[in-house]
Parts: sequence; C-alpha cells; structure tokens
Amino acid sequence: MQMIFQDLRYALRQLRKSPGFAATAIITLALGIGANTAIFTLVKGILLRSLPVTDPAQLYRIGDTDNCCVNGGFVGENGDFDIFSYDLYLHFKRSAPEFEQLAAVQAGQPRFAVRRGEARGKELRGEWVSGNYFSTLGLGAAMGRAFNESDDREGAPPVVVLSSRAWQNEFGADPSVIGSPISIQARPFTVIGVAPSGFFGDRVTDSPADFWMPLSTEPYLHDGATSYLHHADSHWLYPIGRVRPGTSIPALQAKLSVALRQFLFTREVYTRQGGDKLIPKQHVTVVPGGGGIQNLQQETGKGLKLLMILSSIVLLIACANIANLLLARSTARRAEIAVRMAMGAGRKRVIRQALTESILLSCMGGIAGLGVAYAGSRTILALAFPDAPNLPVSASPSLPVLLFAFGVSIVTGILFGLAPAWLALQAQPAEVLRGVNRATRDHSGVSQKVLVILQAALSVVLLAGAILMSRSLANLEQQNFGVQTGDRYVLHFDPEGAGYSVDRLQGLYRSIESRFSALPAVSHVALALYSPLEGDNWGDCALPQGHPVPAAGEQCNATWDRVTPQFLQSIGVPIERGRDLSEQDTATSQMVAIVNQTFVKRFYPNEDPIGKHFGINDPKYSGAFEIVGIFRDFKMNNPREPVRPVYLRPMAQQYQGFSAPYDGGEKASMFAGSILVSFRAPQENVEELLRRTLASVDPNLTVVGLQTFERQVNDNFVQDRLLARLTGLFGVLALVLASVGLYGVMSYFVARRTGEIGIRMALGATRTRVMGIVLQGAGWQLGLGLVIGVIGALLAGRLMASQLYGVSTYDPVALGGAALVLATFALAATLLPARRAASIEPMKALRTE
Amino acid sequence: MSDKLIEIEDLTKVFYTDEVETHALSGIHLTISRGEYVAMSGPSGCGKSTLLSILGLLDTPTGGKYLLNNKPVENLSFSERSRIRNQEIGFIFQSFNLIGDLTVEENVELPLTYRAGMPSAERKKRVKEALERVNMAHRMRHYPAQLSGGQQQRVAVARALAGSPSILLADEPTGNLDSKNGEAVMHLLADLHREGSTICMVTHDPRFAKHAEREVHLFDGKVVSEQELQKLTAEVEA
Repeated sequence: MQMIFQDLRYALRQLRKSPGFAATAIITLALGIGANTAIFTLVKGILLRSLPVTDPAQLYRIGDTDNCCVNGGFVGENGDFDIFSYDLYLHFKRSAPEFEQLAAVQAGQPRFAVRRGEARGKELRGEWVSGNYFSTLGLGAAMGRAFNESDDREGAPPVVVLSSRAWQNEFGADPSVIGSPISIQARPFTVIGVAPSGFFGDRVTDSPADFWMPLSTEPYLHDGATSYLHHADSHWLYPIGRVRPGTSIPALQAKLSVALRQFLFTREVYTRQGGDKLIPKQHVTVVPGGGGIQNLQQETGKGLKLLMILSSIVLLIACANIANLLLARSTARRAEIAVRMAMGAGRKRVIRQALTESILLSCMGGIAGLGVAYAGSRTILALAFPDAPNLPVSASPSLPVLLFAFGVSIVTGILFGLAPAWLALQAQPAEVLRGVNRATRDHSGVSQKVLVILQAALSVVLLAGAILMSRSLANLEQQNFGVQTGDRYVLHFDPEGAGYSVDRLQGLYRSIESRFSALPAVSHVALALYSPLEGDNWGDCALPQGHPVPAAGEQCNATWDRVTPQFLQSIGVPIERGRDLSEQDTATSQMVAIVNQTFVKRFYPNEDPIGKHFGINDPKYSGAFEIVGIFRDFKMNNPREPVRPVYLRPMAQQYQGFSAPYDGGEKASMFAGSILVSFRAPQENVEELLRRTLASVDPNLTVVGLQTFERQVNDNFVQDRLLARLTGLFGVLALVLASVGLYGVMSYFVARRTGEIGIRMALGATRTRVMGIVLQGAGWQLGLGLVIGVIGALLAGRLMASQLYGVSTYDPVALGGAALVLATFALAATLLPARRAASIEPMKALRTE
Repeated sequence: MSDKLIEIEDLTKVFYTDEVETHALSGIHLTISRGEYVAMSGPSGCGKSTLLSILGLLDTPTGGKYLLNNKPVENLSFSERSRIRNQEIGFIFQSFNLIGDLTVEENVELPLTYRAGMPSAERKKRVKEALERVNMAHRMRHYPAQLSGGQQQRVAVARALAGSPSILLADEPTGNLDSKNGEAVMHLLADLHREGSTICMVTHDPRFAKHAEREVHLFDGKVVSEQELQKLTAEVEA
C-alpha cells in the first residue's frame, strides 16, 4: 500500500513538473471520457432504465414493440402481435395464470382538455389503464388512493389518479384536489389520488402521462359509438404483468401464442378471404417489462447505440493521443528508468509506476470528463427533445454513470498506459547509461507510428460517418415535400375537449374560417383532422367500387384526411385534374373525395378515376365516395417514406352508411384537430394574433400547439439533426485530436531526430529535402491510416444504413471528403514541425547530438 | 589550377548571447593544399571545432574570406552550401553520427541519395567500394547499434569517402574510441592520405596529431606556433 502511495506521489510530481503535458492530456481525456459518459447518461436514462416500481425484474410484457395507437387486422409478414384489444387482453388474463397480475395500458397517451372548477382548461396527457395497474406495478398512492379493480367496473364512478408532477405543476400542489371533481373532455371525474413522486408511468417517453383513468371510463369519454373498449377487433392496449417466480418464459410465450390464435379463429375479420390460413403464423413475444413499454427506447435506441460506438471511437483516438504523448515522455525518460533499474527497481515496479501515472492521469481526465458529460448530456437532451420539459431523463450523473466514468477512466488509463509501460520494459540500463555516443534504435517509433495510423483510420471513420449523416439530413430536409411552408402556420386545437358535439361542429368551423380569414394579409384558412407531417394520420383499406374483399396481405391501405375547401391552397398543393373540394360539398350533397396521384396509380392504374366510386374496409361501402379531383402528390406522413395513397374528404360530409365499428370512426373524424393559416406576406406577432382569434371564437377552445408550418415539417428531423450534429461534433473532435496527435508525434519526431537532421544536413541535405523527410514520415503513416480508415468507414457505413436517407453507405463524397479533410488537417499539422526541422542549423543540431 | 584547396584570410567568428560577445575565432589565416593532411590542435575551447564547422560550411564566419576550390563560400545560400557539403566535403565526427534506423549500407549511401541524378547502381557500387576500403563490407546489413565503436567510426569514414569529396574533415575522430580502435582509425586516415585524400583533423591528443603532415595550433581563437602554444598553456596552468 505504501508503495502505491509512493508511486502516486511520484506520478503527481511528474505531472506537476510538466503542466503543459498534464493539461493537454487531461483536456483530451476529459473530452473523450466526457463524450462517452454523456452518451452513457442517455443510454442509462433511456435504454437501460427500469421503471420506478416494485421489483421491475418480475414484470413481463406481452408484445415487444411500440405499435401505437389503434390497429386492426393482421400485423404483417412476421405475424408478431404487439397490441391487443380489450377482449384479447381479458382472454390472455384468463389463459395465463402464470401472471400473478396482468394489467393493460393504453398504447397511446392522448391529450385531454382538463379543467378544475372555473379555471381555464389545460391540455394534459392521460392514459387509460386497467384497474389493477397500480397493484401490478406494486405502487400505492403518495396521497389519497390508487384505483383498483372495483373502480374499473362498468358503471363505477369515473375517477382519476394524477401524476405527482402534474399535481405540482398543473394543480399547484393543492392537497384539496384529492376528492374534488375535475372535468376531462367536459365530463366530470373525481381525483382520488396522486401517484408516488418519481413515478412517470409505464414507459420512458418525452411526454409522460399526467393522469391515469380506468379502462371502463373510455366509452364514457368517447361517447359510446367511437369507443374501442368493446370492439374486439380494435387493438389499442399493451398487456404488462407480474410473472410468478419460476415461470418458464418460453413456455408462457408459447401458451399465449396459442391463446392468441384461438381468439383470432373466433373473429370473422381474421378468418374471411383465406385469413384462417394465416392465423397459424400469428404469435406473441413475451419480453422483460421492467423497462416499461419500449417507446423512447425504440425511437432512439439505434441512434444512441450508434452514438455510443462513435463516442467510443473518439475515446480510442484520445487514448492513442495520450499514449503517443506518454511514449514521447517515456522515451525521454529512458535514462531515468535505466537509472532506476540500475539501482535495483524490478520490471514490475517500473511497469506499475508507468501504469500508476497513466491511471492517475485518466482519473483526473475522468473527473473533468464528468463536467463535460453533464453539460454534454444536458445539451443533447435539449437538442433531442426541445419541447419536452417533462422528459423523465436526467442529465445529472447517477451512481451508475459515476461508476461508468470511473470504469472508463481505469480502462482508458490502462489502455494508453500499456505502450509506455511496454517501452519501460524494453529499457536496458547498460544500453541507456552508455550515453549518446552510440547509435541506438528507437523502440517507441513503431508504437507511435501504429498509434498515428490508428488515429488517422478512426478519424476517417468518424469523419465519413459525419459527412454521411449530414448529407442524409440535407437530403431529408431539402427533399421535395410537395407542400409550401413559407408564411404558413398550424394551430392545433381540440373542439371535443371544449365540449363540442358533432352537431355543433359545422357552425364552429364556419366561425373559425370567418374570423381567421378576416385577419390582415391572410390568404387561406383551412381546418383539417390532421395537418401534413404532424406525425399523426389515419389509414383505412380503400376499396374501389366492385372490388371484392381484399385478400389477406393485399396492399389496400390509404391515408385519409378530412379537410375544409381551402386545405390544398393553404399548403400550396395544386389540383392536377377535376376539381377541388368546395363549399358545395355539404352534408346532404353527394359524398365526394379528391385523391392524390399515388392513389390513382395504386387503385386505378389504367383508368380515369374521375367520377369513379370507392369506399373503405368492406365491399358494401365501396360506393360511398365519388372521386371528383386529383391533386399533386405531397408528403402527408413519414417524410422518409415514399408518398402513400391519400384521399381527402370534406369536413362537412359525414357518411351515414357505416355500421359498427366504422360509424364510430366516421363520427370521431368529424372533430378537426388543426387550423392551417397562410399569409400573403410575413407578419409580426402572428402567434399571439392567432391565439387571440381562436379565443375570440370560443374562450374554451384551448391551443394544443401552435407553430409555423415550416417548423412542423422540420420537427420530423429532430433526431436526425441531433444525430448529424453529434456525429459531426465527434468527427470534428476526432479530427482535432488526430491533428494534435500527429502534430505532437511529428514535433517529437523532429525534436528527437534533431541530431539526425543535423547529420543529414551536414551530408548535404537541403531544407526542402529535410521538410520532405518529415512530410514523408507523416505521409506514409497517414496514407496507411486513410486506406484502413476508408475500409473501416465502408464497414461502419453498414451500421449506419438504417439512419441514412438518400445516401449510400459507400458514398464516394463522404469517403473522399473524409480522406481529403483529414489529409488537409494532417498536412497542416505536419507542416509546422517540418518547417521547424528545415530551419534547424546543422551545427546546433550536431551539438545536440 | 591552384594547388590550394582551402584559403582563409582574417577569419573571425563571434557568438552573441544576450549581453556577452564571445570571440571564438579572431583573424585566422589558413591554407590547406590538395593532398595535405593537417591536424588542428589546441586546448578545449580554443575554437578548433568552430573552425572545422566553418571549413565544412556547417557554420558561417562573422568576418573574413574563405575560398574553397578558389571560390568564395562565406556568403553562399543555404542550399548552395548544402550542395557543396554534399559534393566537396566528407565529415567524420567524434560521435560517429550514424543514423540508428538505417543499416550500415543505407548510412553510407545517404549522402549519395542527396545527389540528383546519381543512378542507384552507381550508388551501390560506391557504397560497396567505400565499405571495402574500411573493411566493413561484411556488415552492410547491420544496424549501427549492432557494431562496436571502432566499427561505427569505420562506417562513418566510409560514408565520408563514398561521395569522393575534395576534403575529409574529422572532428576528434578518436574521441569516443579506446586506444586500440583509435589507433586503427588513425591508420585508416593515414592510408587514405597516402592514397591522395586531403584531410583536416581536429584533435586535442598530441599522439594522434603526429599522424598529420602539418599541425596547426589554436589558442583562444588564434593560430599560434607550437612554442607559443606551449608557453600560453603553461601560463594558464600556472
């Protein structure tokens, strides 16, 4: 122990003796360890996080992906069901006593208009969960009580449990809220409790639930007909339960898959048109549920893993840098090591001393890195989730993060300390003490060259990755969305939450159109169920008139939207043929629709669709809508995907021919969610103006969201932008570290070979030739590094393939650009030592020899 | 063509530091003829190595004239001096100054690689001949660290010879060698002189100075006679 302290004291003295070296090393390590710790903070907070519930390891979920929010029909080629109807959930509950308790949670977490007393309504996120939700998670209430099975019975008084955060932020931490009524979507509920502090729900998400309601209240809020609770074929729930100890999960999974198939065989929607042949392929996956519903994990997982790899590469480059610096130092200290060895120091002792110094250095870098990590993860969170103040992920270093940083520091110290330790092992006291009169070979040279090659190769990988990501982002952002976004605003609102019924909607919409149209410089105003690229949409199976029931697996999905007549104009999309929707398309006139070009290609490939009829889901509805126009394609849904078939229906027309379950959807779709306003020219204070205008229509109408159309489109790329920025940052960091490393090595090369340079000059080498020697020395290392780096980048590109858009993983611009940038920086980094070498006076150089 | 290879007139060298002006050489007059073997001797700090470095165009004089092969060389550019060093001068250093990362063959070849246009075959031939001349051809593939001090110095001599220079400048060539190896190197230089080489050697050892045809004595940066040197040395010692 005493020797360790002695080594530590000596190591500290050595660092104090070389403050420049120590500062460079600590800053380099702080950047490397900090970048890794910052990403690990997010990985820990998002990917490795357990729910704050009792014994999360005992929780298992039926289904493994987040398939929000309401699905029907078969799930796709692999037959992997993830989302279930209420009836199917009950069927699982009955079939699998292996679950001590099995709860169901809503796949989505919609916003609801919530009001207490006469206070102004707030838009809060709510979630329907089964009555055993809190008991399954092993949670009570912090105040009041959590609801139980009896609260989830049909006819039970509607109750709600608030999250601790919502209670504090939205209800002013008022204890009297417990037992008092609040209105949700204009329906009365009683607050019975507040969930424990720190409990953010059953998933890590950027917008966690503010309150929870029993499933039985779903029909209460959805006016019966639009409810999913009792529609056995509408899947909207995720089951999560506590498995009895000793249960075989594979056996449970097999059993639940059988139960699923049994259930599907009882449903006509799955057995018709040969569907029964697909049922044997259907199955469920039972996965650990301690981390909750994998929502954010699914969204960010690939990106975070990629960032973890990239930050590890940065750390490796930093390690190579420090190793090089230490090699240079230890070469300079060979005489000292030799003296120590001559005085009886064993090799182990010498190695331990070398490693003590490097580990001490890395720990100091690690401590500084924690600061970098905290600032870094805060910045990343702010960039990744700009509008998510309630994100349950903290940038503060937790114990696991501290342990990670400590572990990385130790590993890093050993990693970059190995080379100098090895060099110390090579020290021959007799050889070194013989003095400078004999030519000796430099053992550190090979290691240093290998490290430079490694740095160059890794830098090319990072730079190529950065260029790929930025090109991908540029392709995403600069693609032709088919819409115009300039001077356009999207206001999201919720008439249902303000208490409007379907019969009052048309009057409301007319008022809104009239008030907004009267604003100065407004060119168009439209209402829509969904606005383009807002992240939400509605899909149905479109059936041209006369088309039979679609065969299992037949592609018939089309996105649809309900809009007012100026919708296309408000987003700058032209009609290609036929006519646009108009004021003449009323509730009593012919049910009409306009379709996009892709819709025509898909459903009417060799026909003129104008005047043709189509419907949805069932041939009996296939004559429902007459096509009156074709509009130019635009991106309505995911901007990464090709344009889907889209049709638009008038806001004023509710098709009365649907029977259950489609009549519910038809009714629910009458509630517009967006107001689109386009201006003829840029305006000031538009947001305030729009808010005031909506309030002037009805003060109870709350603004759920308001932003420019451009921002709405751009928000689709927040993750991509973050990934591109961080990859770019890591690329720049790698470039700087590699350049500094190369500069250091070449400076060391020049300093160490001053004598040799003097000899060469004495023998007739010109300055240009001396510069050439230095540049050549760096050049081949760099060249080899570039070749290895390009191969590495090609391999790494495969890992990034899923994150890229419109750019191939072997993009020559990225590979060539990375190589060129690195070569330029490396040349600049080498030029200075080369010039220094060329300016050496041979006589002085020979004197140093 | 004159027989004088080197002619120096009133050569001075002053080193300037912050506040001190050190006169390393003061008014040196020296002539070295072709085929001559000159030893420069004197006590430590007398300026002999400084003079040698000026003779070898490694350093420039502060004043005076320096003709090499009848051409003034005191004010040449760096690259011109490099060219002359490469073609006209062969250096032998006290500490051998072989490059550790190069083999014996590569070390000897080094000055030839700085000559534009010399074919590789010609270089290899010259290297072989030079190494054979110093009896080191059998160690061509070795690295300097694998050789004894005497062997390293012989390789250094071969390197100096390979370029067929007008003059060999040797700075304490035996300084880092034991007496046996020192003698061997001195015999080698004597052989080279007999074969026609012009040699200028710096040494502080009178035994080795006797190998030269002519001795030039330096004291405090000035050329003095042997008698003067003895007198001045005695005064200093007293």
